[in-house]
Amino acid sequence: MTDVVMQGLSKSFGSNTVLKALDLRVPSRQFVTLLGPSGCGKTTLLRLIAGLEKATAGEIRFGDRRVDTLPPGDRNIAMVFQSYALYPTMDVARNIGYGLEVRRTPKAEKQEKVGAVAKVLEILHLLGRKPKQLSGGQRQRVALGRAMVRRPDIFLMDEPLSNLDAKLRAAMRGELRRFHLDLGTTTVYVTHDQLEAMTMSDLVVVMNEGVVQQIGTPEDVYGKPANLFVAGFIGTPPMNLIPAQLRNGVLTVAGTPLPIPIPPGAPTELVVGVRPQDVAIVEAGSPGAIPGKVWIVELIGSERLIEVELAPKLRVIAEVRATHRAAIDDVVAIRPDPAHLHVFDPATGQAISL
Amino acid sequence: MRPWAAAILYAVLGAITFVVCFPLLWAISTSLKPKEEIFRWPPTLWPENVTFEAYRELLFGSSVASAPGAGVAPSAYFLTWFGNSIIVSVGSTLISITIATLAAYSLTRFRFWGQRSVPYIAILGYMVPSVIFVFPMFLTMVSLDLTDTLFSLILGYVCITLPFCLWLMWAFFRGVPIEIEEAALVDGASRLQVFRQIVLPVALPGIIAASIFSLIVSWNDYLFGRVFMNSMENLPLTVGVMHFFDGTHVDWALMMASSVLMTLPMAILFGFMQRHLVAGFGAGAVKG
Repeated sequence: MTDVVMQGLSKSFGSNTVLKALDLRVPSRQFVTLLGPSGCGKTTLLRLIAGLEKATAGEIRFGDRRVDTLPPGDRNIAMVFQSYALYPTMDVARNIGYGLEVRRTPKAEKQEKVGAVAKVLEILHLLGRKPKQLSGGQRQRVALGRAMVRRPDIFLMDEPLSNLDAKLRAAMRGELRRFHLDLGTTTVYVTHDQLEAMTMSDLVVVMNEGVVQQIGTPEDVYGKPANLFVAGFIGTPPMNLIPAQLRNGVLTVAGTPLPIPIPPGAPTELVVGVRPQDVAIVEAGSPGAIPGKVWIVELIGSERLIEVELAPKLRVIAEVRATHRAAIDDVVAIRPDPAHLHVFDPATGQAISL
Repeated sequence: MRPWAAAILYAVLGAITFVVCFPLLWAISTSLKPKEEIFRWPPTLWPENVTFEAYRELLFGSSVASAPGAGVAPSAYFLTWFGNSIIVSVGSTLISITIATLAAYSLTRFRFWGQRSVPYIAILGYMVPSVIFVFPMFLTMVSLDLTDTLFSLILGYVCITLPFCLWLMWAFFRGVPIEIEEAALVDGASRLQVFRQIVLPVALPGIIAASIFSLIVSWNDYLFGRVFMNSMENLPLTVGVMHFFDGTHVDWALMMASSVLMTLPMAILFGFMQRHLVAGFGAGAVKG
């Protein structure tokens, strides 16, 4: 039972501040994903937890044990690197067993543990090979085996699937999730791939520019984005973010009033967010719909993306069934689903709860 | 490849091989000839009467009793010189490689002032011909009272081999991903364990390439041995065999037999290490 608690954690490289007074709690036995664009500090945070970097300020605790002063080897963690970082001169068995070897585990016990892990990962037949004789997927498994064999308190994974091809990546997502459910080890997983974050995590931590933007379940970060950054980052195609005004208490987009009650005290300039799936294309002139002209139509398989221009430089994407036909320059109207509208304060970027 | 292109290629390669190998073959041939045959005209390419007399004299002492008062024949020192050469080349190589490996590792892994410029200064130093160093170094040895000692030669060879070894190891370590060391740290290894068990095995081809370079340079050196040393019993092989020349005659059989024996250790070493050598220099070439 090990939760990871970070308090006031900061990290700077010279004048470049990568993490800014970060507070975060990773609950025990959970699969927590650090998600964000490159340079957001997620990998730095992971390396701080691992002990490969020293924090500029703040502290890290595993349970009630303070660890930020300990070297990596004393934290009882295991890490899977993006490049796998297998030891090139050692065979697979020694790669997996190296952590036990340096801890002077008796030989018989070591062999048994390595064998057990190799069996679970289905790499028993590879134990005598060197890393360069393995395929990408096999290396990935060896790296996982090396992490699993020591029964660590915490798994740290730094984009472990990013070097695999798309098909293998999809398969490994499911496997990693299964391993986590079987082992129940607290896991911190770094990725920039929102699909990985959404499919595997108990909790998603969305980060940007060294600051945590939102912590929540995949449903939360997708369904209730806390701010403009999360709204724009999560979801493919991204959420439509449309400037809107509050006129006499009525929300107005491109001159059309929308029947959304806005809580008192909201600023008069707002941003309305609506996912493409929640935008319907209706006939021009329909009551309560915002008129516009079809800008571009893209077929993406079972769906069709229709981009509608409401005003110059103001376009909204609607995701509709592929059977819905539309031609460029058709005069249409869009109707956002009022139940799935998000409203943000453009000054602070924060969501306004409706 | 077209047949005529292949023919030209093989002709050129054959000519180069002949030019490179002929002196060696001639040395072997001469070393096996009796004295009368060496100067015969026209020369024989291969001795008519093969004799191992020169080798016997070098390895097991002179068969001809030296004339009273003539002192010890130079050939009696052959094994001593051979030993000296082994001591100085192995000694200087061990020192060079140890320093180069540790220095190159820290240059690629730790941050400190001068980290970027040291390898370039080193390679620049290597480009200065050693003739320029030899006299200042000799004067230094005199003031340290180290002349005519094997240690002075070891120091001299370290000075000329270290820069290139450092450069080679530096290029090599730059190609070793730091993640594998971090993985070992997370696995619980100490810094020293990481260096010994993870880094050194990976760096082995580089270490072998640098060692061979250093061994060849110090084994083949003539200049430093000539300048630093003067007692017969302290000479390295390269300088020692020059005593087979004297004012009145040149003992070509001894000379050539010595040359052949001198080539042997390096040739054997090459045979065993060739594979690593290519890997090591290859890594240096790409990453440097």
